[in-house]
Amino acid sequence: MHRIRAIVENTFKESLRQRILNLLIIFAILLIVVSIFLEPFAIGESPKILRDFGLAVSSIFGVLIVIIIGSSLIHKDIEKRTIYTVIAKPVKRGEIIVGKFLGLFFLIAVLETGMTIIHQIIIFIYEGAFDPHLLIALPFSLLEVMVLLGILLLFSSFSSSTMASIMGIIFFIIGHGSPDLKLFADQSKVVLLKYIAYVFYYILPNLENFNLRIELVYKLPVHHDQILFSLCYGLIYTILLLYVATIIFEKREFK
Amino acid sequence: MESAIKLEHIYRSFKTHFWQKRKLVLEDINLEVFQGEVFGFLGPNGAGKTTTIKLITGLLKPDSGKISIFGMPRDSLKAKQLIGYLPESPYFYDHLTGYEFLKVHALLGNCKDYEKKVYEQLEKVGLKSAANLQLRKYSRGMLQRIGIAQALITDPELIILDEPLTGLDPIGRKEIKDLILEQKQQGKTIFFSSHILPDAEVICDRIGIIINGKILKVGELKQLLKKGIKTDEISLEDWFVKQVKEKDA
Repeated sequence: MHRIRAIVENTFKESLRQRILNLLIIFAILLIVVSIFLEPFAIGESPKILRDFGLAVSSIFGVLIVIIIGSSLIHKDIEKRTIYTVIAKPVKRGEIIVGKFLGLFFLIAVLETGMTIIHQIIIFIYEGAFDPHLLIALPFSLLEVMVLLGILLLFSSFSSSTMASIMGIIFFIIGHGSPDLKLFADQSKVVLLKYIAYVFYYILPNLENFNLRIELVYKLPVHHDQILFSLCYGLIYTILLLYVATIIFEKREFK
Repeated sequence: MESAIKLEHIYRSFKTHFWQKRKLVLEDINLEVFQGEVFGFLGPNGAGKTTTIKLITGLLKPDSGKISIFGMPRDSLKAKQLIGYLPESPYFYDHLTGYEFLKVHALLGNCKDYEKKVYEQLEKVGLKSAANLQLRKYSRGMLQRIGIAQALITDPELIILDEPLTGLDPIGRKEIKDLILEQKQQGKTIFFSSHILPDAEVICDRIGIIINGKILKVGELKQLLKKGIKTDEISLEDWFVKQVKEKDA
């Protein structure tokens, strides 16, 4: 456990010192600017815009960090040869993967929590009350980050950081288009295409499982079984990704 | 004598591009390093020294052959627990301080009392005052010393150093040589690579010479350097040229 802890701390500190938390300031400025400038055009819709925009931007910032830092998490260590001394210690390769994953995940969790707090404060300033209903977006957004980070680590366990980021972006787009893929499979009249679409639908991550923006902005109820399903889906999918990443990383050599 | 490192019939090849044929870089390497000795692994650049070290430390896998560390398979965690390794021209995590860097390696090496170990090592390599300085602000010599400290932090039985003296000024080289000798006095086994002969002469019990991926000779340095060649008058590369020419003749 202490070996994973060492890698978690190392990854967290290294990433933190790249001044990622400065994004919090950008986030706060963006929210304030948007709420000030959009209000005259919003015609009574400004509370919704403030909520929707805040949720969207905090989610995008999380995803951006996953793609930018997550893709280079392993590759940078190999390129800069910092991984050599780590591999030579009595550490399992799987511990490195899990440690890297948790280190960056915790940092993004801190960042997203910070953005959620800022979001609530700005809502309070404009409306005189917090909106606790929105808080449920945070764990869902973190589940999405978890799955995406797993994908990034899987690809960086054997390919370059550029390839890993490209795959991250592709999976992000496909993951959010997953319901359309299902619709296509349901309606397709060509049997082969129908089955291929179904296979992809079930194999590829369905990131829409973690998107609650419509429910939260329009104050629709979020059911417990939906929460439980998303939680299990996110956890199982991530564990599988990390497991495959470990198998590949165990075979990796450092030339 | 018991062996600390044993390489038996090691072959290793590389492919630079997927359409190219594999190039053999290590051919039938047989080498035994005994417990408690300082072994210099010498050869010119590109001879296969770093590849051999990477095979021993688990960064690479051999195409064929067997590597054991104190009689255990080199991949086992028990074997790795006994190794301290300093890579060639090491680069470390820029944003970590010297203390944090050593702490990570102490925890990875299963050190129980890591706080104490970290400060002991910082003191030993003369970096106590730079403990809270980020590694990107360290000089080349300081990086080499913190690198040695991370290799020694688990108090390993076998210390593997890849070109530990390269790029250091005379004072830096003296400090590293003293550290190696100190470890030897404590009964540790040291395996280090170098292409500088005079340094090797001062600290080695035995040397192994590798050239073009093949072990040329293994034995005591003075025994190997016959015909009155003094090591401080001739570089290893020159000596190799002579050896190769002799071999071809």
